[in-house]
Amino acid sequence: MIYSKGKQIFLLVIMTMAVFMASACSSANSEADQDKNGSLSISETSEGGSSEDPASSVSDNLASSAVDFDHSLDSYEPHKDHYNFYFTYKTVHAWWDAVALGMEEAQRQFLDKGIVITYEYMAPEAASATDQTRKLIAAQKKGYDVIGVDVADEKIITPLLNEMVDAGTKVMTFSSSDAAEGCKRLAYVGNTHNYQDGVDLTEALCKKLDYKGKVAILVGSVGAPCHEDRARGAEDTIEKYSDMEIIAKKYDMDSVDKAYRLTMQILMTHPDLDGIVCCNMSNPVGAARAITETGSDAVIVGMDHDEEALRYLDKGVIYCLGVQDCYSIGFDTIQTAVKIADGNQAGELFPEKTDEITTVIYQKDAALMLELLYGDIA
Amino acid sequence: MRQGKKVTYKTFVLTAVIGSLLIVAMLTVNTIRMSRRTAVATDEAVSAVSLFYLEAMADRRAKTITNLISNSFDEMEKAVSYIDNNEIGSQEELRYRIGTVESLLGLDQFALVDEDNVVYTHYTTYTGGSRHSFLSDEQLNDRIISTVSLYGSSKKLCLAVPTHELVIMGKRFKACFVQFDIRDIVDLLAFDDQGRTHFALYTKGGGNLSGTELGPVILKRNFFDALKGIVPDAVLEENLRNFEEEKGGDLSFSYNNAQETLYYVPIEGTGWEMAVLIRESVIHDQFLDISENNLEASRNMIILTLVSVLLFAAVLLFQLINISKARLEEEKETSRSFHTMANTDAMTGVRNKLAYSEREAAINSKIKAGEIQKLSVVVCDINGLKAVNDSQGHAKGDQLIKDACKLICRQFNHGTVFRIGGDEFVVLLKNEGYDTMLEDIAEFNRKVEANISENGVVVSVGYAILEKEDRELRDVFERADKMMYDRKKELKAMGAVTR
Repeated sequence: MIYSKGKQIFLLVIMTMAVFMASACSSANSEADQDKNGSLSISETSEGGSSEDPASSVSDNLASSAVDFDHSLDSYEPHKDHYNFYFTYKTVHAWWDAVALGMEEAQRQFLDKGIVITYEYMAPEAASATDQTRKLIAAQKKGYDVIGVDVADEKIITPLLNEMVDAGTKVMTFSSSDAAEGCKRLAYVGNTHNYQDGVDLTEALCKKLDYKGKVAILVGSVGAPCHEDRARGAEDTIEKYSDMEIIAKKYDMDSVDKAYRLTMQILMTHPDLDGIVCCNMSNPVGAARAITETGSDAVIVGMDHDEEALRYLDKGVIYCLGVQDCYSIGFDTIQTAVKIADGNQAGELFPEKTDEITTVIYQKDAALMLELLYGDIA
Repeated sequence: MRQGKKVTYKTFVLTAVIGSLLIVAMLTVNTIRMSRRTAVATDEAVSAVSLFYLEAMADRRAKTITNLISNSFDEMEKAVSYIDNNEIGSQEELRYRIGTVESLLGLDQFALVDEDNVVYTHYTTYTGGSRHSFLSDEQLNDRIISTVSLYGSSKKLCLAVPTHELVIMGKRFKACFVQFDIRDIVDLLAFDDQGRTHFALYTKGGGNLSGTELGPVILKRNFFDALKGIVPDAVLEENLRNFEEEKGGDLSFSYNNAQETLYYVPIEGTGWEMAVLIRESVIHDQFLDISENNLEASRNMIILTLVSVLLFAAVLLFQLINISKARLEEEKETSRSFHTMANTDAMTGVRNKLAYSEREAAINSKIKAGEIQKLSVVVCDINGLKAVNDSQGHAKGDQLIKDACKLICRQFNHGTVFRIGGDEFVVLLKNEGYDTMLEDIAEFNRKVEANISENGVVVSVGYAILEKEDRELRDVFERADKMMYDRKKELKAMGAVTR
């Protein structure tokens, strides 16, 4: 078959055009891509009983869940669109500031639902049952929907709360200290296992000391239920071990400075001190300052987790700390207060005692806790 | 004629393939070289502009924050003035006024603090001595800018203004303050960023305040901790001093073969440093993407070109083959023409003596092979040709030959007619011609006999058929020839001219 000359030229032209078009398309594609780009992410809870060394067996999950910042209101529908509460707590201290943050989160979530929660959240500079009494009497006169109390001294405050309830005031307790057994308050939101916390911390200390040695107990305020319960837990635990001895029990009245001075005194009297059980937030910080200063080998176990305490834990000055979930306590307090204000009784809608967790953390958890709770603003 | 080297098909194809491959190779090398040159040029350009760009970005962001602070202080002064001008008799009314201030002046979390460090906000009243570090001072004398890390690691910028003259409900108020969540400030700054750079806010110690990642090396970590071992200690110390003394600066380091450049500026009054890091690594990656896209496009172009060249070569080869075939056909045709010419009698157009000889050879082979049964030979001789030539000229003689040939061809139209001599023809009959030979001979003779009296064409014919004992065509021919001579005598007797 012979192609005519015209057909041959036509074929050549088509071939040439195909080559040019292919190269043009390729070039255009390249330019388009360029234009597109050119315009130019062991701890243990209070029930813990692990046989391994908890200090070296760390669980990040447990440590990171010691304080739960992720809360949502339950399905309860409040009866009113405005509630006014009064809360009083033991003393002005960072621990209760953390509780306040949980309360504010609940308040924000209610506000998102169109319900305004206003409240006062008041405390004296130093723990005082007298001051708390005065505040409660004044608050009762102002007709708050609910009055919440972190009991400073159960012997003094419990009768007052009963009187207030009898007078028709809706009263609840919250935070770390409930009123005495039999109090007529409507509910308690907080730590319900202070005695066990004292036991757990002391058991950790005893194990660390190989169940022998001299131990001092630091307590917070005289009569503060949570502090006293933990102290009892510590005493009962040490009593179990014949080679262990309590050589002192002192109250710092929730003052770090006093805790420091008390520890220094104890160390002067007993330079061979082996351990210190600290029953409140100020105790371990004061004790750690004294231990650092004197170079004592005494092992510190204690409650709570303010930033300074966590830094001592991180350095190994404190052996372990019991972390209470104060943020959750604050959130649950507001939720419960709204239900109480609506006339509900403890039962189906809220428990008579809301159990909040305590997590014992060790040196290896400290950095994570510091980061989670306080961030790095060095 | 010039004697050149003969170009074979193989040589042609080889040349086409090698040529195509060379073209593709040249295109590939050229494309790669161009891509590399572009990459180097872009890298240089990025480095050149990044520092200038970073400085501008850092300054602009720092200014955004200082403007926010300055504006907020002004608004707080207005808020205090508004509250002071309204006689407030109860805590509820104070909360209402604070709420009004928040919504009117856009001051989120506006709060007043009385002399007992009790904090009043829109919704709450609380003892704040331990919560707000600036309250540890007995009396505030000046505006305060502080950074607060709240429990839960939320970080805030706190702005406080003293309120010496403010008295509400019989209480003296010492300050008002607002708190900005640093995440909100980050959102404000990020809005301006459009994802081109990394930025983060740092404390004097290098602590990350903004919670933003400053590139793939520093991430959200402490600025100085992250850079330990990556930049020399002396450089790190110099930058740490800059942070502490609230100075600006820049820093470059390499990571994963990518050059990272950052610039930082102090944010006045806050103790913060705003660091901006150009996403050189990202730009580099993007550039690599561009280069890869270019290379891919070039690869595609090369493949397309290769395919096109191969297609082109295939078409050329196809055409070459066709041209060759055509030439061959032409040659064959020419050869056929020459052959025909050589085998044709020029005067009569029938086959000539040469053609007869070729046919005779072919038939002899078939006779020997026993492949032929029906064959007869008719020998024809024109009577009186010599007399016509002699008396009327050769032209008449030639005409006689043509007429005789025509007569023969018409009668033996199923046979093959050969002119084997000047006045002698042979007709080979097979198949139908063989079958009708006797009738044809008889009719032919009748015509010839009629022509004698009419002075027409007279042709003497003799015939013979192939017999079993015949060894070759010549045997048949001779019998026919003999018969033809006998017929010639007969015709002579009838009055025909025989010579």
